[in-house]
Amino acid sequence: MSMPGRVAAIVWKDLLIEIRTKASFHSMLAFSALVLFVFSFAIGPDTPLLQRIAAGLLWVAIVFTGLLSLSRTYQSEEAAGGLEGLRMSPGDPRAIYLGKLAGNVLLLLGLEVVLFPAAAVLFQIELWPHALPLAGIAVLGTLAFSISGTFYAALTLHLRAREIMLPLLLIPALVPPLLGAVNATQLVLDGNPFGEADLWVRLLIAYDVVFFVACTWLFPLAVEE
Amino acid sequence: MLVGANGAGKTTLLRIIATLLRPSSGEGTVDGLSIKDDGDLIRARTAYVSARGFVYDDLTAAENLRFAARLAGESASDGHVTELLTTVGLAHVADQTVRTFSTGMRRRLALAGLRLRPLGLALIDEPYAALDDEGITLVDRLVEDLVTDGTTVILASHQSGEATRRATSTMRLDDGLLVDTALSATEAS
Amino acid sequence: MERSAPFVRWLGIAALILMGAGSYIGLFVVRADAEMGEVQRLMYVHVPAAWTAFIAFFVVFIASVLYLVQRDPRADRVAASAAEVGVVFISLTLATGMLWGKPTWGVWWTWDPRLTTTALLLAIFIGYLAVRGFADDPEQRARWSSIVGILGFIQVPIVYLSVVWWRTLHQPPSSPRSVASEILWTWMLNFAAFLLVFIYLTARRARIAKLEGELETTLAYD
Repeated sequence: MSMPGRVAAIVWKDLLIEIRTKASFHSMLAFSALVLFVFSFAIGPDTPLLQRIAAGLLWVAIVFTGLLSLSRTYQSEEAAGGLEGLRMSPGDPRAIYLGKLAGNVLLLLGLEVVLFPAAAVLFQIELWPHALPLAGIAVLGTLAFSISGTFYAALTLHLRAREIMLPLLLIPALVPPLLGAVNATQLVLDGNPFGEADLWVRLLIAYDVVFFVACTWLFPLAVEE
Repeated sequence: MLVGANGAGKTTLLRIIATLLRPSSGEGTVDGLSIKDDGDLIRARTAYVSARGFVYDDLTAAENLRFAARLAGESASDGHVTELLTTVGLAHVADQTVRTFSTGMRRRLALAGLRLRPLGLALIDEPYAALDDEGITLVDRLVEDLVTDGTTVILASHQSGEATRRATSTMRLDDGLLVDTALSATEAS
Repeated sequence: MERSAPFVRWLGIAALILMGAGSYIGLFVVRADAEMGEVQRLMYVHVPAAWTAFIAFFVVFIASVLYLVQRDPRADRVAASAAEVGVVFISLTLATGMLWGKPTWGVWWTWDPRLTTTALLLAIFIGYLAVRGFADDPEQRARWSSIVGILGFIQVPIVYLSVVWWRTLHQPPSSPRSVASEILWTWMLNFAAFLLVFIYLTARRARIAKLEGELETTLAYD
């Protein structure tokens, strides 16, 4: 009944299903690219302007795409008869949360591997010299999104109007990490004068830790019936 | 053995025993363990097969069983998986995705999961649903094997089969047994 | 149908009296602000309303924790009632803040950290009430909204911190002017008044919730 083993089993199972159905990743990719495109059209070909707000546009695209994929997190479970099978397994039900969390993080990170370069092309920003710090910020920001997102997705699973409830609950929760990720990213792209980005990185880390603990702890209550 | 008309509350009762559902009042024990407090311990030795069965359409039969095993913290060797699939007559479709299965085949796969690990209690909702004669015989044999191994089996059904006929005790549920009513202690093994 | 406890009725009367006193003093007795003029009187509503709103949120938090631990429906009713009344106070805070901002800064909205946090707090409150609105089963409703209330409460300080950093990194924070004692006393008076109003309304709302609950149960058994 080892927790890591069970978490890995869930991640692997979701990965298998994803590989076989190719349901999420490809549509996420297309959607996020479209969002970036729409932004460019809406704001206009003002390159200096786009460069200044590139970080913001990028992270908004990630959040929107992430919201879509979150609502699918438990879809395969629902088709299989709800979370019952998972909840019925011996051991801590938190393994479900951790497994879904890991899956969401991997999915989003995979998306960002393509999205960041795409944004670099569209908005004409230089990513490569800052690759390592940007990767770090991406991981922290994605973690923040997935930690709260996976939790609220489970909570709103049986709510009426859950398609609107999930964003309604999640978006206020995402304001701090969004500010953190966007500002850190933009500062890094601008060369991180005065090490200001560190402040935002610390905010991200604090958020991740606090809400990882809170959400993991509360999870069994969220899926209880 | 639980009998009752549709909607009488058989599934609800099974789910409460399985610790999937919290009773709104009252308490219960399974083999001396409290439903409210010792849920983890109960689930360690209990399996529940719902009317729908817990299978993923996009995994193969073999992958489903392997996942169920790993989820329970057991390792399932290929040999063991094949053996289980043979028991329920699904060995020939081991590597086909469940999406291609008929309802009866899905049901059999769900039931195969009961033999993955030693159980103190097996809860089966509508064991004969969607099964042909061969499937019904399969279920009866399965239940027999479980009982031989010392597992208490609770079946909820409105159909009749060999296993239900040989039930050691039968309880009838009517409208009256709502979740609200206090529950008495369940079968101890 | 029993009338509510006499204690609650006296609370209501006391609240009314204090509100009257606070309003009169705030509007007529205290001198107008030297720099900002009459508009500053809005602060006598804005500041106490903000404090009361945060108290309301704190009550929601404590009641939610109590519910999850004890599963007592009374705790859930208190949480829900406090949230509903809290929304009123938060909206009041927001409205007076904006009304004050227009003549003072010339715009209806700035991204002032406190105003922004207030707006987000409103969003969190509304999320809480929406969860209650969309859940049918009373037990699930109580459980889910308790979780949302607890998480929401944890989110608020982090939101505030991040918005403050966001705004002050680009401009120095406005230095708080020292507050004259008569202004402070008026704030305190109005805060006491609002607090009484909050407690009174919450108690009444909780009682209605109790009756609603009984009605629900009766209907379910028909």
